[in-house]
Amino acid sequence: MQIPERLDQYIETPRQREFEREFHLGWEQYETWEEATVGERAAGSHTFTVATEDIASYNRACGETDPLYVDPTYAREHSPTGELLQHPIFVTAIAFYCIGSSGIGSWIRTPGARNPGQQIEINEPFGIGDVITATITTRQKFVQRDKHYLTMFMEFHNQDGVLKATWDCSLILPATRSDVGLFVNA
Amino acid sequence: MTTSSPQHLIAPRFDEIETGAQLAPVELCYSQPVIDRYALASLDMNPVHTNEEWAARAQVFGMPETVGHGMMTMSSLASVVTRAWGPVSANGGSIRFVNATFTKPVKVGETVVSKGYVKKKHYHGEGENWVEVKVEARDAGGDVVGVADVGYNLPD
Repeated sequence: MQIPERLDQYIETPRQREFEREFHLGWEQYETWEEATVGERAAGSHTFTVATEDIASYNRACGETDPLYVDPTYAREHSPTGELLQHPIFVTAIAFYCIGSSGIGSWIRTPGARNPGQQIEINEPFGIGDVITATITTRQKFVQRDKHYLTMFMEFHNQDGVLKATWDCSLILPATRSDVGLFVNA
Repeated sequence: MTTSSPQHLIAPRFDEIETGAQLAPVELCYSQPVIDRYALASLDMNPVHTNEEWAARAQVFGMPETVGHGMMTMSSLASVVTRAWGPVSANGGSIRFVNATFTKPVKVGETVVSKGYVKKKHYHGEGENWVEVKVEARDAGGDVVGVADVGYNLPD
């Protein structure tokens, strides 16, 4: 068990309860730096139906306490959108959920990965009930100062085809599956 | 919980904001419960953030401790702008982008303060003007742990 049981006390949503939280499970199926193909494009393996509780939980985790961010009843009356204000980096949860644990982009779950920086663009907030699809394009892989960088461009559309946000995602990764294994089995 | 009024989430008009204007800082303590909650809310359950024993053995960042998520730092950097003006404001403002770079891992127990100022005004005509806010996050020792450029559409 790599995820300590103490985390159970903080679970706030059904999604958090059902999500495969153990990133050491199934690592043999994760895409690796050496296997990724630049130019490959595909949808993530899951869609994400946006719920108020997902947004409220993310906002709280970022330290937001303003009722516009955490109180749906208050937000209904006072928010410019009639819904909870949405932290712009909430898209992180959508990405991890949509990508899943195998196939394109699954390297985002890699034990041993390091985060050098990220670029997120917001076109408009996700709506409650929106069914979000993440389309992933492997964009670049390169080695710089002995570090293996892999980048993917993610586009987040709702059920009507509206582009809500994009994320240019980069990580520094163990290069090979055996390198990943060294971290998994540390 | 604060008892704030929504009125504070009104963004300044483009012609009234000046470069150099500072925004209120955002402070976040990277205690293990805070990191754990962020892991669940973001669904980024990488053990380098949550499993102290594995983190001590693997030493992904060359230290035997868990570290906060880069995306949590990115969130704090963005919050400097969105707590002031709102992800969308009551008078038509909205966030455009957040571009972040992480310069130092933040180990568990650190407190990070993010501060920002208006770096540049981008005039593109009525209804299309925006500003770039430069935000910097430092740990208690004064080291920069992350920086971001945050783009924000301002009302005319």
